[in-house]
Amino acid sequence: MLFPSVQFGIFFPIVLALSWALMSRPALWKPFILIASYVFYAAASPVFCLLLGGVTLWNHAAAVLIDRSKSEDRRGFICAVAVAGDLLALGVFKYYSFFVQAFARALHAVHLGVPLPLITIALPVGISFFTFQAISYTVDVKRGLIKPASLLDTSIYLSFFPHLVAGPIVRAREFLPQLARPRDPEHVAVSAGLTLIGMGLVKKVVIADYLGRTVVDPVFGVPHAYHAPDVLLASYAYAAQIYCDFSGYTDIAIGLALLMGFVFPQNFNSPYRATGFRDFWRRWHMTLSRFLRDFLYIPLGGSRGSRLFTYRNLLITMVLGGLWHGAAWTFVIWGAFHGAGLIADHAIGGRFKTPGWLRWLVTFNLIVLGWIVFRAQGIGEVWSFLSRLGSWGSPTLLSVPVVLAIVVAIGPQLLPPHPLERLQGWAGRLHPAVLAPALGLLILFVAATVPSTGVPPFIYFRF
Amino acid sequence: MPTEPKHRDDNLMDRFDRDGARRFRARDALAAVAIIAAILVVCSGASIRKAGQEMNSGVGRDAVLAVGRPAGWIADKLPVRSAAHTLTAWLSPDPNLSGLSGFNQTIATGATVGIPPVTPDAFDPSQIGAPAPPRRPLHGVLVTGDSMSEPLDQDLAQALTPQGVHVTQDPHIGTGISSTVLVDWAKLSQYQVQHYHPDAVVVFIGANDAYSMPGPNGKLVNCCSAEWAAIYAGRARRMMNTYRQAGTARVYWLTLPTPRDSARAKIATVVNAAIEVAAQPWRDQVRVIDTVPVFTPGNRYRDSMTINGSPTIVRQSDGIHLNDAGSVLAGRIVLAAVDKDFTR
Repeated sequence: MLFPSVQFGIFFPIVLALSWALMSRPALWKPFILIASYVFYAAASPVFCLLLGGVTLWNHAAAVLIDRSKSEDRRGFICAVAVAGDLLALGVFKYYSFFVQAFARALHAVHLGVPLPLITIALPVGISFFTFQAISYTVDVKRGLIKPASLLDTSIYLSFFPHLVAGPIVRAREFLPQLARPRDPEHVAVSAGLTLIGMGLVKKVVIADYLGRTVVDPVFGVPHAYHAPDVLLASYAYAAQIYCDFSGYTDIAIGLALLMGFVFPQNFNSPYRATGFRDFWRRWHMTLSRFLRDFLYIPLGGSRGSRLFTYRNLLITMVLGGLWHGAAWTFVIWGAFHGAGLIADHAIGGRFKTPGWLRWLVTFNLIVLGWIVFRAQGIGEVWSFLSRLGSWGSPTLLSVPVVLAIVVAIGPQLLPPHPLERLQGWAGRLHPAVLAPALGLLILFVAATVPSTGVPPFIYFRF
Repeated sequence: MPTEPKHRDDNLMDRFDRDGARRFRARDALAAVAIIAAILVVCSGASIRKAGQEMNSGVGRDAVLAVGRPAGWIADKLPVRSAAHTLTAWLSPDPNLSGLSGFNQTIATGATVGIPPVTPDAFDPSQIGAPAPPRRPLHGVLVTGDSMSEPLDQDLAQALTPQGVHVTQDPHIGTGISSTVLVDWAKLSQYQVQHYHPDAVVVFIGANDAYSMPGPNGKLVNCCSAEWAAIYAGRARRMMNTYRQAGTARVYWLTLPTPRDSARAKIATVVNAAIEVAAQPWRDQVRVIDTVPVFTPGNRYRDSMTINGSPTIVRQSDGIHLNDAGSVLAGRIVLAAVDKDFTR
């Protein structure tokens, strides 16, 4: 069930009303919200509710066992087994076909063709997100940062529908305390939530989908049909599209949660304002960055060693972070590219006095270059795309709406103080009775821009 | 009981308090959502009903229609709907199909009485041992269909564009020949021909086709009887006739590779049979490219096959669509057929 869909438009008001009606009675509210979240998930594929339930039971059992265990070795062992189980589920559903096919081809190449079970496995929506949340829960229990929650609370934490399918990756210690007592019905950030929902819809449906349809998909699909100006335009358009698509989804998710009385962590903070790769990852998909830092980079040793040791850890973290996005070599290369960027940041950071605008310019264009690899369907397509930069001709896709969409997506991130955040802050203080009609009319106009075939899925749904 | 974080995290959980976001009562949230819902029902209730009609049967469709029917009724009774449509219609990215005749409108064929004439167009020269007509240069190709035509459209564009052939990619995801709610393919095919003037049209469609269609007497005919297949073939034939542009263009229509699901496999068998029948009057111009022997010999589903000696997964995880590798293979087969008619 997509957020910008008629089905969700019917689902959410009913759930919101019942949620507040039952909020004061947790014994009723908790089972209700769990069932509502599973209904939401079942709309994508009912059978995968079993997987979500299985991951929940597995990690709950591990957390309880860890908590009961006195021996640190035993706690570590249980935690390792639990995390391995989560990664196994992720690996089977997300990477099986990719790795088995690659292995089969490698064997075939050396004339050791062995018939391997080459089958396709459907990717459960949101598996990358809820397995990571499950890992964070179990590891945080092991680290003593939180106590195990009840099975019901753990189930709600992992399945809560606003963050279920594409994040943000909410840590257990951020969410479980909010379940400890009913949300205060006299203290709800209604206007902030409505504003975020409105902004998210505009970002996703008006900007991201428009740029995807008119510029990005045609050029990335058939680069040979276009010359350098269009290829450059598509590169920047994709940077705008992926930001608006993912941050738009996040805005809606955070806004929905606010209306229900819950707060999620921030996931984006003007990422294209970054003046270095390290800065970028503090601003882009911040909840994934924190996860990779806390559950991969630091356990690998972080920067507690020689320079080379730190660089190795940065590279491993980012390559695996790239692979998390999908089973394709382009994601591995994209991750390695960002790893190299972080290493370069680390190596030369502070050694040279460079103006801020120059650091921004270099960083932004390198990030856009990375997005080309990220968007391409294969390594060959990256070269096809980049090779067209040498082919000069007249632009065919340049138009005022396209330029406007890119400028609106990226421009406000660069202006101090951030105009969108100011607008958000201002609207967040308006009374909902004023904001609601405006949002209703906005949705009417946004819906008019949707083609008859519907709103394309969010890009991060496939991850 | 979970404990509070031991240290301040970089999650900015307090940002709404810090930014001074004003707090209201939960009932204000409900009132706001009710106002938004009321605006949408009054201005766009018919769209909710239409969205329900477009959905596949099931609980979700029933739920949407349970809201959509009264919402549509309210919107129909009020004058606001047309004003809202006038204000927002210019934003629609869809092609304007008004003025074109759809499947549900009768057309005068001049051959509805007696036995339809068999014309020379019904014979592929290779069938009767006649010499093939000289190949023509290929200038423009239209690749269209439902989600089956993706990423085939991209593969064909990548293969043909460097050779100076203009490829128009026009997939319409979620549509079907048997349903006119989302897109009426009778109208759309006319629009495509009028706007793109292709020398060759590649069609790959049918993944969603199991909708009931009105029969000759106006009564709905359910999938997948011979009567349903006949109506489907009639619609497909009408599209083929549009695409062949009075014999000046060539049509390459791909059959559906057998899906994994047995119920869908049965539908695919009927759709494929209907496509074969539909093409009969113009075998000279409409090539049916049978994907079944290639991807699912004997109508037996398989995820993978050997391509160029290498084990390769060719289907997507839904068991319906071709994946990138499968699509590349299908594209090669299409190009081989195109090369018999055109030079490039």
